[in-house]
Amino acid sequence: MATQDKRLPPQPLRSVGRSLLLTLPIAVWSLLMFGHFWQPDRSAQIASVTTAVFMIALFFMMMRTSRTYRWRRWFFVALGLLFPVGFIHQVIAMRGTMGIPIEEMIAGRTPFCYIPIPMLILPAALMKTVVFPGSIRPHGGMSGGGMAAMAGIWLAMTLVIGKGWCSYACFFGGIEEGMASVPPKAKVRKIDPRWRYGPWAVLLVMVLMSLALFEPAYCMWLCPFKAVSEYVAARNTVGTVQNGIFVLLFATLVIALPLLTKKRTQCAFFCPFGAFQSIFNKTSIFDVKIDRSRCTPCVLCQKSCPTLSLTDESIVKGETLMSCMKCGACVDACPKDAAVWHIKGTEVAVKPERARLMFLYAAWAMAIMFGGSIIAEGLQTILHVFI
Amino acid sequence: MTTRAKLGYTAAGLTVFATLLVPFVLYGAFTKGFAGLGLHVDEMYSGGPKVRTIQAAGYSIDIHRPVSPHMLQHEKPFVQLDWRPVGALPPHVSDLVDVDGDGQPDIRVSFDVPKDPKAPLRVNVEPLNPRYQAMRNVGKPQFSELIVRVDDAILVRVPLAQQ
Repeated sequence: MATQDKRLPPQPLRSVGRSLLLTLPIAVWSLLMFGHFWQPDRSAQIASVTTAVFMIALFFMMMRTSRTYRWRRWFFVALGLLFPVGFIHQVIAMRGTMGIPIEEMIAGRTPFCYIPIPMLILPAALMKTVVFPGSIRPHGGMSGGGMAAMAGIWLAMTLVIGKGWCSYACFFGGIEEGMASVPPKAKVRKIDPRWRYGPWAVLLVMVLMSLALFEPAYCMWLCPFKAVSEYVAARNTVGTVQNGIFVLLFATLVIALPLLTKKRTQCAFFCPFGAFQSIFNKTSIFDVKIDRSRCTPCVLCQKSCPTLSLTDESIVKGETLMSCMKCGACVDACPKDAAVWHIKGTEVAVKPERARLMFLYAAWAMAIMFGGSIIAEGLQTILHVFI
Repeated sequence: MTTRAKLGYTAAGLTVFATLLVPFVLYGAFTKGFAGLGLHVDEMYSGGPKVRTIQAAGYSIDIHRPVSPHMLQHEKPFVQLDWRPVGALPPHVSDLVDVDGDGQPDIRVSFDVPKDPKAPLRVNVEPLNPRYQAMRNVGKPQFSELIVRVDDAILVRVPLAQQ
């Protein structure tokens, strides 16, 4: 993205006073959220204050520069890097290993993340059975974060930001976004557009496998992020093979390919949850449009999109594909301000900044509430070493 | 401004308002709603509901309903028995257990109870009824055939003979 920014003409800056005024609601929200998580522990206090200042400062810069992606990326990469720190510390403190022992599965203490949600729907609907070794009670699970809590937060946030979850809440995507931002230029530029169907194919196969095998098939066999969270305890050859797959997928999709392509390859080509979440782009009131009257077309938006959610055809139609996760890369990259934030039902490019602000208030508030608490926990874990 | 645009802005405003409700109202409501759906965790993990308790000398044995695998699930049918509390168990347990409640013992289960809660467990199960399969020095190879310590109980899952 560094090269992209060099290509762009400088944007007029919003005044400091007005930017501060626009940031004020987010500052109040941060105080509310981090006051809620306040603890007597000194490292927790420092972590909370640092995270609150970090999130407020990023929002201020979004207001001041009228850019979204580059500032959101700081948050997202911090989330991706600090989630494993806090999580791994927690599981090792509680059970001494990153491997999930069979005892913990039987006790319903397997931590539950949002990725298997689409795979659990069919068995739950057909047999009233959850094929995951966790707890359904609101305060069950490893640390009070059972399936009900994760399902609750996912439903509530999806209602508000839809597919924006993948840019403002997912605690895994930041790792590959960080990797993608390392090289100045992509080494692999030509990507077969058919790879876009990958997430849908993985979703379909995993949904059917989960129903047939009555197990969370994606968690058992394909999740690359098991490599940085927790894995199936390798009790036998099958367990060893499963862990080998996790590490291989992580090294390929989350490290190597983002470095080569500057794209979020795991999200764009593989993630079944991302495919499922795309459905909520249809229900979300916010989207991104291309103003055809301004578009040249230079396809800088297409090149900047980390998930290949813009094609020649979609640009002609003035739309993004349903996989768009509202990261703002295309809007920031467009030198003609043709890529714009939009509220459904309104005319394209009429007061796009109003649409951007409304979306960002919702998305950033959720980012602070969910991602902010995870960042603070990761920071607290690191601070514990020193304090 | 068209009616569609007005509706769009209203919906966007309501979305921003809903954001304020997420941590205070919506999160809790959706969490309780999900918990209240009446779903249950697959019995291959949970072991199925407890149906009977046998009182022994200072401890009890909970017997669960037999669990059958679904469709292509690669596990055997099994029945789970829980010995609890662990603190009241003798150093070596060897119990005749009437699993099906017909008044006749069905299996003899024997295992050592190490003082170290993290020490590995091994179990022997001698079937006295052909419905149950034997287990020889078994640890925890799979969900349908194991002995594990979970909190204050020692759980033994005895595989059932396939019909």
